[in-house]
Amino acid sequence: MEKAILVDHLVKNYEVLEKEPGLTGALEAIFSPKKKTVRALKNISFAIQPGELVGFIGPNGAGKTTTLKILSGLLYPTAGFIQVLGFDPWERKSEYLKQISLVMGQKNQLWWDLPAIETFKLNAAIYELSAKEYEENLKELVALLEVEKILNIQVRRLSLSQRMRLELIAALLHKPNILFLDEPTIGLDLVAQQKMRDFIYEYNKKNNATILLTSHNMTDLVDLARRVIVIDEGRILFDGALEELVGRFAKEKIIRVYLSREDDIKKMEEIGKIKKISFPQVILSVPRTTVAVAAAELLQDFPVADLTIEEIPIEEIVRKIFKGETSIKRKTE
Amino acid sequence: MKKFLSVFKISLQQEFAYRLNFIMWRVRNVMQFFLVFFLWSSIFSDPSRIVFGYDKAKILTYVFGILVIRAIVFSAKSDEVAKQIGLGEISTYLLKPINFFKYWFTRDIASKVLNLAFGFFEIILLFFILRPPFFFQGNPFYLLTFLISVVFAIMLYFLFNSLLNLSTFWMPEMGWAMQFLFVVVVTEFLSGAVFPLDIFPRVFQNVIYMLPFPYFVFFPLQIYLGKFSYEMVLNGLLIGGGWLIILYFTIGYIWSKGLKKYSAEGI
Repeated sequence: MEKAILVDHLVKNYEVLEKEPGLTGALEAIFSPKKKTVRALKNISFAIQPGELVGFIGPNGAGKTTTLKILSGLLYPTAGFIQVLGFDPWERKSEYLKQISLVMGQKNQLWWDLPAIETFKLNAAIYELSAKEYEENLKELVALLEVEKILNIQVRRLSLSQRMRLELIAALLHKPNILFLDEPTIGLDLVAQQKMRDFIYEYNKKNNATILLTSHNMTDLVDLARRVIVIDEGRILFDGALEELVGRFAKEKIIRVYLSREDDIKKMEEIGKIKKISFPQVILSVPRTTVAVAAAELLQDFPVADLTIEEIPIEEIVRKIFKGETSIKRKTE
Repeated sequence: MKKFLSVFKISLQQEFAYRLNFIMWRVRNVMQFFLVFFLWSSIFSDPSRIVFGYDKAKILTYVFGILVIRAIVFSAKSDEVAKQIGLGEISTYLLKPINFFKYWFTRDIASKVLNLAFGFFEIILLFFILRPPFFFQGNPFYLLTFLISVVFAIMLYFLFNSLLNLSTFWMPEMGWAMQFLFVVVVTEFLSGAVFPLDIFPRVFQNVIYMLPFPYFVFFPLQIYLGKFSYEMVLNGLLIGGGWLIILYFTIGYIWSKGLKKYSAEGI
């Protein structure tokens, strides 16, 4: 099958001006600017099939948003080959732009002083939608996002979550085949987040749209993305099924022990790190490589009624990745 | 074309969103005019006096003319572009299948149409209040070249303004300073929007005529007043047209350079 997105050896360097703090620093920056090259993306490659929903995860500044911006034609790649739907995004051809959308949590394209419906009409004209397409798409999106009552209210009078839903309509009115979502649930309350997730899921299924999503919201990723790409310091650390993440990133396993009677639990510390004690249950974390030995020792030395070996929950792994605590770097370059 | 009609319509709606602001803007326009009018009226208190080749009727036509030409040429929404580049807000436009410059030109035109429509009523009103002696141009050559020069002025100013805006790609914090320097100091003075340029010494005038600025305001007005020979008019249109071509290609080049530099910060 033809790939929807193809990224091959992509490199992006930025040049930034360094500024010392304070007024003297500001003056210095004017007369002798110090330039620094930031290597945002260091040779990344991946391919995405049509209809896939892929999550991009990594700590802040890892290069996720930069990648999305390059794919949507906003940034000029320093080196590498990029093709999306057969187009070079940088050329920003109309036929390409009509098929994509970049939705960013903090971005607003709605006309602040006018009701959202005016922005929608404008977008319909810009994307050259027929009256029928416009009516149909709008009706569908308005129903899905439950905004029929606020279409005719000045945007600046609306709440954040109302505005976000309207922003989403503005971004999707032209039914893009490819959707780049950057932090789509940022700043939303829990109910609104769930609505947004349901919507993304539906949109992906219904239109067979290819979706690339970045999020710091774990639930977003666990609920939506089958496949994740972990990126840190401009490199891809992992690309595969969400479930496989655990095997790759978790250095430890969890042993859950149920004791039949009280015993000197302190001694267990020699076997593994005690994470939680709530008698009769004790939870230990032990290195993956020695988990079998540890379990055997526990059974031998303690009055064990029951014992289970578990993987670290995926949420915890993802949380660690966000914090940049992924000491396991790439296996191979 | 439908795209740009929609941009035009929404721009007008936007202008009316803040009614009070809109009214204050008009009041300021009228006040500004009163100021210039009374200044020149007092200089020409003796009706037979002629200064730098202007009699009272022509100088008053000149200041009235400034009101109109300014309304057409200088009113622009594209001033926002500099700020938007600095804040990374132009991404919104780059993501859409619409030409960035045509989009902003359309927004400017909307602003100009609105300005002109109101300016027209204000002028009629002022005309009846002040009853100035007015100069009406009857020569079809001057009227025709006047119209052409106004169209040139609109395009030149747009291109020039765009060029300033694009400087923000390289100097994100300098955008407003550039605008202040050029819009207030250079364009206001060198375009003849404050006083007619032919009160300057001849040598200085010759230099200014080679620059794009007089073609914003001064040149169209001089044509209307019939103060230029046919040859000077055609010469001027040629220089103005030359600047149009130069600026057009320069902007194309700078735009493509700037986009490569663009880092889409913020969004």
